[in-house]
Amino acid sequence: MGLIVVLLFAWMLVIAFLAFLACTFEDLESDMGSQSNPNSQVQLAAQIGQVNRFFNKAISGEPLSNAMYCATAGTIAWLLLLKLEPLVPGEEWKAAVLAIPIGVAVAAAINIIFSMTAHCGRTAAQKRFEQPIYLDVLYGHLLPIATHAFMTTFFITCIAYIQCNLGTLSGNPALNHPFALPLLGFIWGITVGAIGSSTGDVHYGAEREFQDRPFGEGKRVVYHGKITRYAECGVRTQRDIAGFCAKFGGPITGMTFGLIILFENWRSLVGMQLGGYLPNLAASAGNSAVTWAIVMGLIIVIALAVVNYVFVRWVRKKCGPFVGV
Amino acid sequence: MTVTPAVVEEEPTKKGLSFKLPLDETEMGLVAGIVAAIVLVFTGLPAVIKGIALILAFLWGMDSVRKTSKYGLGTGVPSIGVLATGFGVVGALVGLALAKYGSIEGVAYPAVLVGAILMGVIGLVAGILSNHEKVIAMKIPRLERAMMELGMAGTLIILLECSIVTGSLNFDAVVNQVLNTGLIAFMFIFTCFGLLHPYNACLGPDENRERTRMVAVEITGLICAFLGFAMIILSSSSWALWNGVSLLIFGVAVWAYFFWLFIKACMDEAYETVGTGMIKTIE
Repeated sequence: MGLIVVLLFAWMLVIAFLAFLACTFEDLESDMGSQSNPNSQVQLAAQIGQVNRFFNKAISGEPLSNAMYCATAGTIAWLLLLKLEPLVPGEEWKAAVLAIPIGVAVAAAINIIFSMTAHCGRTAAQKRFEQPIYLDVLYGHLLPIATHAFMTTFFITCIAYIQCNLGTLSGNPALNHPFALPLLGFIWGITVGAIGSSTGDVHYGAEREFQDRPFGEGKRVVYHGKITRYAECGVRTQRDIAGFCAKFGGPITGMTFGLIILFENWRSLVGMQLGGYLPNLAASAGNSAVTWAIVMGLIIVIALAVVNYVFVRWVRKKCGPFVGV
Repeated sequence: MTVTPAVVEEEPTKKGLSFKLPLDETEMGLVAGIVAAIVLVFTGLPAVIKGIALILAFLWGMDSVRKTSKYGLGTGVPSIGVLATGFGVVGALVGLALAKYGSIEGVAYPAVLVGAILMGVIGLVAGILSNHEKVIAMKIPRLERAMMELGMAGTLIILLECSIVTGSLNFDAVVNQVLNTGLIAFMFIFTCFGLLHPYNACLGPDENRERTRMVAVEITGLICAFLGFAMIILSSSSWALWNGVSLLIFGVAVWAYFFWLFIKACMDEAYETVGTGMIKTIE
């Protein structure tokens, strides 16, 4: 096995690890600001008379908003790289060390601007339900939200940068990704938001807010307003929800995304290796490489389905029965 | 317990067109459409003028999104904004492909407007199909017109942004400087947000159009600032450089002013703005 193949596998593992971290912080960010699915609870609460001290961060769904932060960070970083890279010939990583954090910081500033307009606008539009704007809630949540968004965007921009330069980093420039940095950031942003929304929201709702209800029970709308009001001790804000979700919901969401990235890239690389496409990128081996990759993918999907089935059966037996089934 | 009232149809307060400030939705559409189309055709204009046309086009698009989404529950607003941008990208590509016909190179490209008109027609057909008794039968009032306006506003916005960055609407120039560089990702997502965020952020029973319009202008200011920054970095002549600098300053000024205006309006018009406090006790 040549050095290029080893390096490719190594970078693939780095990308999977960065994806794990990115999605962990993405989920915590959306919990902190009540975006996406949890937001409908916050929006509903005041309307059914439950005035609350929650932050109403209604910046569309998570896929779109994360695509925005990551595309912004990617664009700014790419523009800066365009100017900075010629200054340090042969040591382009120095330009990246400066350009990526600046781009990500701009994205975090954008996050603050959009969070602020969303919270103020939505609260002002609930005037008839007597929901006031609490300034300490507004200012107290902005920085934690922006910090989590900074982490997500930073990791995603790093992944996009690694992909853009994958060939150069592993020794064969033909392997560089054909897409530009902003476009990769956009695609990765949509992906990280989609996984954070689909996996993360389940834990936000089920773990935190309905701990006193039986396992698996359907929830009436009347309960929904109540969850925004009181915590174990005192009035509930979302900073304690983030602290709670950081113990399980966030990492499990990160693990979902990390595993998706790991399996997806692993099966492509193993397929390329088995099909004889690596390390010389022999065009004639393309078809067999794709076949091997698809076969590996099918094996992984079947294995996961079996594991899921066994696991869910075990959980139902241990914690069930589901109420209402 | 307060019960959410059903959506109340806004009573038209005046009949016909009067063009008194603030402009109502129809007048806004007419003014924005005509100004944006004229500015779009003449690509040699300074970037700040294009920025002003961009603000008008966004206000128009925001009005259409508001009209379309008003009858939903709030979860559909982002999708309408993305739909408009999708219309816009397709329309922009059609317009750019036709741009060379009847054009004066570097000065005027009247044929790009075909893209906007085509998207208007497609939007109208989509609206009619969605509302028609026999097809989807959603029965949303004024959906046909709103969808048509979404398509046209989206196309004008994307084309204006391309025109700002490249300084022309030549197909090859746009492909090289906007699509291949990945700037299109940035334009796409920010156009989405410029259209969807104003109404999405202000959603609620006490939403009012004036506040919503402020957010649209504010986000357009941000877009102008970013496009100005991109122009500065990508500039190859001093004309492009100064265009970029002026657009950056214009964008930051517009953003700062309207952001301040919006937050102040929200705090004044909310039920109450308090430093801190306990939540209302429910018996």
